[in-house]
Amino acid sequence: MAVTFLGVRHHSPACARLVADTIRSVRPAYVLVEGPADMNHRMDELFLGHELPIAVYTGYRDPQRRHGSWTPLCDYSPEWTALTTGREVGAELRFIDLPAWHPALAEVRNRYADAEARYGEVTGRLCRAFSVDNVDALWDHLFEIEPADGLAERLAAYFDLVRGDTRAGSDDMAREAYMAQWIRAAAADAGDRPVVVVTGGFHRPALMRLAEQGDRSLPEVPRPPADAVAASYLVPYSFRRLDAFDGYQSGMPSPGYYQHVWESGPADAARRLTEAVTARLRERRRPVSTADLIAARATADGLALLRGHPLPARVDVLDGLASALVGEAIEVPLPWATRGTLRAGTHPVIVEMIAALSGDQVGRLHHATRLPPLVHAVLPVLGGPGEERLDLGTEAGRERSRFLHRLRVLRIPGVVRTSGPRLADGAELAERWTLTDSDDRLPALIDAGGYGVDPQEAAAGALAERIPGAGLDQLADILFDTALCGIGELTGRVLDDLARAVGAASDLGSLGRTLTVALAMWRHDDLFRTGGSTTLGTVVATATRRALWLAEGVRGGPAPADLQRIGALVAVRDALRHAGPSLGLDTQAALGVADRVAVRQDAPPDLRGASLGLGWSLRGTAAADPARAVRGAFVPASAGDWLAGLFALAREEVLHTGGMLELLDELVGEMTDHDFLVALPALRQAFGFFPPRERHLIATRLVERRAGSASAWDLMRLDAAPELVAAGRALDERVEAALRREGLITP
Amino acid sequence: MNEHVQRPPAEIRYADELARLRDADTDARPPGWALSLRAARRFVLGDEKLGISRKFVGDPSLIDRSLVTLATNRGLMLVGEPGTAKSLLSELLAAAVSGTSTLTIQGGAATTEDQIKYSWNYALLVAEGPSTRSLVAAPLLRGMAEGKVVRFEEITRCPLEVQDCLLSPLSDRVLAIPELTGPEAMVFAREGFTVIATANTRDRGVNEMSAALKRRFNFETVFPIADFDTELMLVEAEARALLQRSGVGAPPRRDVLEVLVTTFRELREGQTARGDATDRLSGVMSTAEAVSVAHAVGLRGWFLRGEPGDAADLVSCLAGTAAKDNPEDLAKLRRYLEQKRPGDQWKAVHEARHLLPG
Repeated sequence: MAVTFLGVRHHSPACARLVADTIRSVRPAYVLVEGPADMNHRMDELFLGHELPIAVYTGYRDPQRRHGSWTPLCDYSPEWTALTTGREVGAELRFIDLPAWHPALAEVRNRYADAEARYGEVTGRLCRAFSVDNVDALWDHLFEIEPADGLAERLAAYFDLVRGDTRAGSDDMAREAYMAQWIRAAAADAGDRPVVVVTGGFHRPALMRLAEQGDRSLPEVPRPPADAVAASYLVPYSFRRLDAFDGYQSGMPSPGYYQHVWESGPADAARRLTEAVTARLRERRRPVSTADLIAARATADGLALLRGHPLPARVDVLDGLASALVGEAIEVPLPWATRGTLRAGTHPVIVEMIAALSGDQVGRLHHATRLPPLVHAVLPVLGGPGEERLDLGTEAGRERSRFLHRLRVLRIPGVVRTSGPRLADGAELAERWTLTDSDDRLPALIDAGGYGVDPQEAAAGALAERIPGAGLDQLADILFDTALCGIGELTGRVLDDLARAVGAASDLGSLGRTLTVALAMWRHDDLFRTGGSTTLGTVVATATRRALWLAEGVRGGPAPADLQRIGALVAVRDALRHAGPSLGLDTQAALGVADRVAVRQDAPPDLRGASLGLGWSLRGTAAADPARAVRGAFVPASAGDWLAGLFALAREEVLHTGGMLELLDELVGEMTDHDFLVALPALRQAFGFFPPRERHLIATRLVERRAGSASAWDLMRLDAAPELVAAGRALDERVEAALRREGLITP
Repeated sequence: MNEHVQRPPAEIRYADELARLRDADTDARPPGWALSLRAARRFVLGDEKLGISRKFVGDPSLIDRSLVTLATNRGLMLVGEPGTAKSLLSELLAAAVSGTSTLTIQGGAATTEDQIKYSWNYALLVAEGPSTRSLVAAPLLRGMAEGKVVRFEEITRCPLEVQDCLLSPLSDRVLAIPELTGPEAMVFAREGFTVIATANTRDRGVNEMSAALKRRFNFETVFPIADFDTELMLVEAEARALLQRSGVGAPPRRDVLEVLVTTFRELREGQTARGDATDRLSGVMSTAEAVSVAHAVGLRGWFLRGEPGDAADLVSCLAGTAAKDNPEDLAKLRRYLEQKRPGDQWKAVHEARHLLPG
């Protein structure tokens, strides 16, 4: 028996070439590839003649767990060349890894992600030894750019070193044990004929050891539990999505560049990368002079020479372009030096460079491919064109509405809602939809099939993709869409993304709006069944913390009351009151913020008033001497705006604290006429926070205090036009001034 | 010379290493260079086999690009926040490339062309008239005549017209001395001459560089240390050395340093490690500044109580160093310390937050 173990890095052109060459020269009986074993009986589907990149999508659902993951294949995937050349030489082809739904792959979204992350210590040491920035540069340095001779040995040495003595996790061990059994069975069946095994390089040392001894029977393909649904099928894929995995799920970056490396070698790829970057920049009217290009090329060649590359590698070209084209300080480090997704503030030239690297190739499935289950789940129930009116009061209406919303979120053409509940008011109980036929519907459904097996799962996937980097308003839309689609809970990473996006909000007003909506939906929502949901709870908790943080940072002198800002503090108070204990919000910290802002000289008056009100209303009767606080904080010039904040938050406390109304009356009465006129519009606005009934109560008490017998209604009613009253008062004032000037009255 | 000098230049501090690198250097050297590019890179990034220490913590590719730029006909412009070791890097590069890092012009509001190009010995000028004897060469002229690297520190602190006197030396590689006649009136740059300038991003807008001058430089941005562990290690090592020199018997506590470095990183980035946005301080939150806070914390703890500095010392020192005299920064710092976090030292910091003044 002769088993050739090829340890590869997924999506590496050098490895792909090595795999193809090896299979052609060895002409094995079996080619065993790391991939989902449950696809083995459908191997022919892969060879229908698709345009790559494509992916095998696996969706899984049981009562406890939902999971979707991809096994992406492109022209230069070693797994793909193993399959195609294996077929060419007439070998038996087998995928030998566990199915994607298996619990051992529960954390995996991209089967062909790098495993380096788990061996960070060793790779870090290697990067230092070779003086390169990161694993990607190291990989190019050692493998992609070097001549092919001795590649297999170098790869083996590299992966042996990286894996070293590190014990694999239990998930990896389960996978390796399973793969090893396939290898033993194939080797036994092949007899004298050779077998080629293509797996991720990190598995290779373990597989070689495990393949030595053990059971030689053909392994069973695991079946999903009885109460679970699992489906795998082909979906079109794109370079953009291939490059979009982040963190632990990311594989080799820059598919566009490596496609060129695969097609025509590193020299040509470097040239085409420069061309693409130049074209993109010139399209956006950024000057790129010939001198710049000469400098870029010279620098790239110089870097290649310095780093010992026979030809400029990916980072050499990029470094050269960055040196020559970026003529100013940059805000965030070069993305190819740090790895990971693009960060905000990346220099526009660098953004174009990354886009050029990523490429825009999109895969297409052959028309005879089996359609993804999503298509079968949607088309029979979608119905013909026409108008639909749904009553959301009935379960059937809600069910249909959720279905249509899921399609809307997936951007399936011909599904349009003309009216229905909106974010601002969710009280409407009817929805109208217009369905039209569209030729683009089937392709759109096939594309959407990459998000999940049924509309609910697919919509959840599509919505989750919109969260990272979304602004507050978009987030509110996404949350509302989540409710409309009946997605239920967002979990794990998506929830983290959501919390991070809320935590990055910078505008207090819009944060307040989001908090209000989220809190209302969290507290009581029967229509969408979002009451008490973890997702919304996360939003409420994060938004409350963030709002307090922002409130403390607001500076500014006297300015008209900002109602949105005040609304944000109202939302904070409601959140602390109604959700505080169950979401673990820190009321003491909030009171600390409120007390500090209330007395700060450089905070705007409305915010000071609102903060005083926040502290007062949260403490209730336990508040320490509010009268003293009010007297201390009252500044005639900005009284109206200050009161607006106070009344918005502590209306009832003001009304029901003995002596408070009298105190306010006294303070307002002491204002000079000029101050009063300046403050009048703001005062009107402030008292507008009291409902009519309470305004009447105030009037009654004021009249009692001032005029004794008169009716409160007299204060509330004004028979004359306001202009006339103002003119009269102005006349009074002039007369008084004249009298005073002539010494007829004394001030 | 080494014993009495506070801080000898890099070529003297690392004379042994440079000599070893020169002896082992078999690669081709660019004309006028003292070392090959690879040897120069080893000098900065270190090489365990040759016993060369690592002198700069940062992306190796930054050094690669800088060296290649120096070998081309563009100058190298190192930009970045204060305290990111730009000057150290420029000194190391100059020492590696031309064996001397002392041809340095310190930019400032009062820098004149005299200090950059040349001036005169006036006694000789009056006695003999203009001649090469009465000419006093400044760093730029010397660098051109001798084929060496000229360092221009804080170039954006100089007035624009002064900066622009670099234009013709950088593009035509020639400096005219109109007072002299004959062949001496023109000094042509010899191979090996180039300029490393540094500029501070905080000074941006003070004296914006002209576009013509920008074109003659390749810009390299030096970033604060990206990796937490590396920064912590560096702060710990530097603080330990400083404290030893100050006669403090106790090394800094690692858990306190962790809080310190985290605080500095988060206030510098405006983002917590988890990704939440916080405020960015307008003051300088560099690693160098963190080292000086760590030093101050150690001093307080030792000389006030005879033990390593603790969280309360940290809070007191942060106010003076991180927030300086800026009330805005102080308020932001207070808000930052208001947050509750898990961990003993974070709790201690939270409890000591009232030690911030004001």
